[in-house]
Amino acid sequence: MERIAIVEGIRTPFCKISTLFDRVSAQELGRIAVRELIERTSLDVGVVDEVIFGNVAQPADAANISRVIALLAGIPITTPAFTVHRNCASGIEAVTTASLKILSGEAQCIIAGGTESMSNIPFLLTKDLQDMIFKWGRAKTIVEKAQIALSFKLKFLTPRVGLHLGLTDPVCGLNMGQTGEVLAKEFGITRKEQDQFALLSHQRAVAAKKVLREEIVPVIPAPKYQAAVESDNGPRENQTMEALAKLKPIFEKQTGTVTAGNSSQVTDGAAALLVMSEKKARELNLEPLGFVRAFAVAGVEPQRMGIGPAHAIPKVLRKAGLTLKQIQAIEINEAFAAQVLACLRALDSQEFAKEFGYEGIIGNVNADILNVNGGSIALGHPVGATGARLILTMLKHLKRANLNLGLVSLCIGGGQGAAVILER
Amino acid sequence: MENQNSVFYHVKNNVGVIEFDQPDSKVNLLSSAALKQLEVFLEEIRSNSMLKAVVFVSKKQDVFIAGADIKEIEGIKVPQDGELKSRAGQQILDKIEDLRIPAIAVIDGVALGGGCELALACHYRVATFNEKIKMGLPEVNLGIIPGFGGTYRLPKLVGLTQGLKMILTGKLISSREAFKVGLVDRIFPQKNLDILLDQFVDEVSAKGYHRKPRKEKTIQEFLLERTSLGRGIIFDQARKTVLKTTKGFYPAPLKAIEVIKSTYGLNRVTALSREAKAFSELVATDVSKNLIQLFYLTEKYRKLIVPGTESIAPLQIKKCAVLGAGIMGGGIAQLLSSRKIWVRLKDVHYDAIAKGLKAASLIYQKAVKARKIKEFESSVGMARITSTLDYSGFQDADMVIEAVVENIDVKKNIFKELSAAVSSKAILCTNTSALSVTEMAKEAKDPSRVIGLHFFNPVERMPLIEIIKTDLTSPETIASALQCTKRLGKTPIIVKDSCGFLVNRILLGYVNESGRILEEGNRVEYVDRVMTDFGMPMGPFALSDEVGLDVGFKVLQILEKGLGERFKPVGIFEKVYQKKTFGKKTGKGFYIHGKKRIPNPEIYGMITKSALPDPQRSEYLKRMVYTMINEAARCLQEGIVDNAETVDVGMIMGTGFPAFRGGLLRYTDFVGPENIVNDLLRLKEKFNAERFLPCDYLNNLSRANKKFYQDPAYNE
Repeated sequence: MERIAIVEGIRTPFCKISTLFDRVSAQELGRIAVRELIERTSLDVGVVDEVIFGNVAQPADAANISRVIALLAGIPITTPAFTVHRNCASGIEAVTTASLKILSGEAQCIIAGGTESMSNIPFLLTKDLQDMIFKWGRAKTIVEKAQIALSFKLKFLTPRVGLHLGLTDPVCGLNMGQTGEVLAKEFGITRKEQDQFALLSHQRAVAAKKVLREEIVPVIPAPKYQAAVESDNGPRENQTMEALAKLKPIFEKQTGTVTAGNSSQVTDGAAALLVMSEKKARELNLEPLGFVRAFAVAGVEPQRMGIGPAHAIPKVLRKAGLTLKQIQAIEINEAFAAQVLACLRALDSQEFAKEFGYEGIIGNVNADILNVNGGSIALGHPVGATGARLILTMLKHLKRANLNLGLVSLCIGGGQGAAVILER
Repeated sequence: MENQNSVFYHVKNNVGVIEFDQPDSKVNLLSSAALKQLEVFLEEIRSNSMLKAVVFVSKKQDVFIAGADIKEIEGIKVPQDGELKSRAGQQILDKIEDLRIPAIAVIDGVALGGGCELALACHYRVATFNEKIKMGLPEVNLGIIPGFGGTYRLPKLVGLTQGLKMILTGKLISSREAFKVGLVDRIFPQKNLDILLDQFVDEVSAKGYHRKPRKEKTIQEFLLERTSLGRGIIFDQARKTVLKTTKGFYPAPLKAIEVIKSTYGLNRVTALSREAKAFSELVATDVSKNLIQLFYLTEKYRKLIVPGTESIAPLQIKKCAVLGAGIMGGGIAQLLSSRKIWVRLKDVHYDAIAKGLKAASLIYQKAVKARKIKEFESSVGMARITSTLDYSGFQDADMVIEAVVENIDVKKNIFKELSAAVSSKAILCTNTSALSVTEMAKEAKDPSRVIGLHFFNPVERMPLIEIIKTDLTSPETIASALQCTKRLGKTPIIVKDSCGFLVNRILLGYVNESGRILEEGNRVEYVDRVMTDFGMPMGPFALSDEVGLDVGFKVLQILEKGLGERFKPVGIFEKVYQKKTFGKKTGKGFYIHGKKRIPNPEIYGMITKSALPDPQRSEYLKRMVYTMINEAARCLQEGIVDNAETVDVGMIMGTGFPAFRGGLLRYTDFVGPENIVNDLLRLKEKFNAERFLPCDYLNNLSRANKKFYQDPAYNE
């Protein structure tokens, strides 16, 4: 079977919501990443068979955002593009979909990636107000209009915040943070453990600032074009346990342990990867960063969505014929510290392995090979982009550290987990 | 040729069809001959009681009627002739209007000037969605006003505000806009034009040709258009706008206001006779003749082809790398991106790139504000610009434009580096304003691919590009640079590589002279005023502030080194340069650029001479303008450019030299080379200054009693 090569990748810096990329749309972030990928690889855009981007919020002004990005980035109009959505794993979904297309012989070269501008997720009108406006447009007489005007109540004006709606599971009724609390309780994960994990994420991200620059294209954000953003603005140089301890739980005010400090940051950013059949890459004389060895997605209860990786990881290892021990580097997305820690406990648990039939595959995850350049708690989690970022960061890390096998995994809102094994 | 018909007539299904199809031409012109042919057919139509309508169509692609024959207008030497021509045309077009059956103009291409007036004389105008359609009355650009009833019929049809706007600015509008303002009654898709036109003919012939009168859309519009007070305001505003944009140098738009003001709402006979009279007063003037010459020149240079390159297929530029992201680099990047060329913008640090991107974005935003483009077009354009600190992304660039600081060593180094970074097919351009392109070319691996592409500041507004060829430049490179210039919508002139090229060399001698005048104890604004009164868009000091003295001073130094003493920056420039008050970019130069521009008093502290009691205006003008003329003649003498036309195109497009004067050398011819030589000799004596010594070329002209444009080539 032909191997799927990831030739090169690039991403924008990740910037906290409503900061430096406040006025930069998701399509613009995606465009920047894709265009820079083309520029840096001197790619003949004519060889691209498809553009696939993951995106969660699906901006109203960029339907099928992938097509918008493709055209803005100079991909020929004859090259098709479509958008994928697997919530927090949308960026991974873009790469796995690209892989399947290539494996099936449908394509040889695909630009895949993910983009998200959480700053630009709109506030929505209430349905009451929407109805009123609609009726007003149809009203014919002044009396009718007066009646409609009289039906107005001030509460109609309270907007619904799109970001919050997106982060709330409509099936289990829980907010993503609350699902973190569910796992914290179930696995007995303390506030302090979570904060320690968060601190490490910041420390590692700060230390990795220079190496992360290798995967980042500096962006001079519109509309002011004041200065270049060259690095992620999430990592805190002086993060301390004390500072983290001061934060109040946000999802369960009295009884909770999940705080803004030990959760992923709400962030804007995009990443793009050049995916090819190995044959095509060789044909074009391109030296791939690495290859996709296997991928898998698993389903879990929506209220325990954060445990997803603990199921996706054994699933993908089994597909690849590998065990966790053989993996040399791991990225588990840090949606919430509680959730990552819960996954680690589950993976290390005999009972868990027995219950689900993962014996011999999973085991203890060595903290030294996990999220070595920091994770979403420090770098931020632009939901649609993170999956692609993890693959990019992992491939660059494998190359730098001269390792062969890496694994990336994410939990997915709605109750799923995704995992990809990468090799060089 | 003259006897060949260009108007044809036949009847189809009881509809008279007048076809315009000028032989051996891509366009139709409304020449006197064509009008006469038309008149015969109109008589025939009038006497045919079987007809239910008449349609006017063109057989040319994308052209209805491009206007009157400019050669005829040019040939009018006395006002009376002009009046006769105008009356003749008016009377024939009246016959269309007086037909008892509906007359319909079918516009599927440009309808300009006389062509538009013919359409206006019809009872109905239908157009297609053809993007090539442009309609309007651009006569003012030739120093005249519409003479075939346009001043009477257009405001009547589209309203005073819109009518004045179109006539006074000469602005052309698309078919959609024409439909919006009521200039055309319907727009049809080109595909079904025949069927839809038949339906339209049936419709209007059934209900008669009376169209509903124009209705004002808002109360404000009603008050302005329908009350004499309101109309007064409209005329007043129009006059103010015209004076602001033309500074009173161009009489045509003012005359148009006068005519429309005195005829609006009056009967046709009076209105048309006043129009013809006013037309006649303009048509034989020097301003009009100069503007017509300029029109020819612009057309010629816009389509310029360098002999020997006709058969060369120019390189299609899809992507261009720009080095140096200052205001200039940003402007060039914007221009390229607006013409669908991908841009890779490189500089040595991101702050510079940010400035370049900002400059580009500001240009786009201005265009959005002026409603020239839509917001999405701005973001799509900006999306074509990416930036870098290294040479990544240069490999697949078809062209590189270098716009870094004016330092020959830096530039030479760049050309050396570039050879390794780009493909062997790429064209390498420098935007230097004075340095030797040849020296840079020698550093490149393939000097034949190096050429100068000198843009003018501000890039988006200045229509000129000097293409600098060296002895090493290949014809392919010239052809490609020329093609690219045209694609960018700029007018090219081809200049030989020599210190300062053409425009800057002529301009900076003049600026330097203005500095000397200032040092004699004059006021900044006074000297500037001398030149703006002459018609320059701004005076030398305002210009220096605009461009930045840091740039100007350096260029002067380069010119001094290359061309000699006469370009040695005068003391005041050196002093202001040392103070680092470079002009607009530093907020202060010869002027202080706050909310309002005021002269910078510090300047006078740097001048030792006390203020002059009686400044000599005409003497200053001569010193400044004749310095330019002498330098231009030197350029011709040295073969920097081929002919006087190139100088005039360069000066008008590159410096805003007053168009109504026809150009620097046309102005010279007007004054007489002999007079200029005499004045220069006198100035040389008076100031004991070699710089005024007339060059051989000028001397020869004067001695032979010839003019710059007396070369037989100009009298074809």
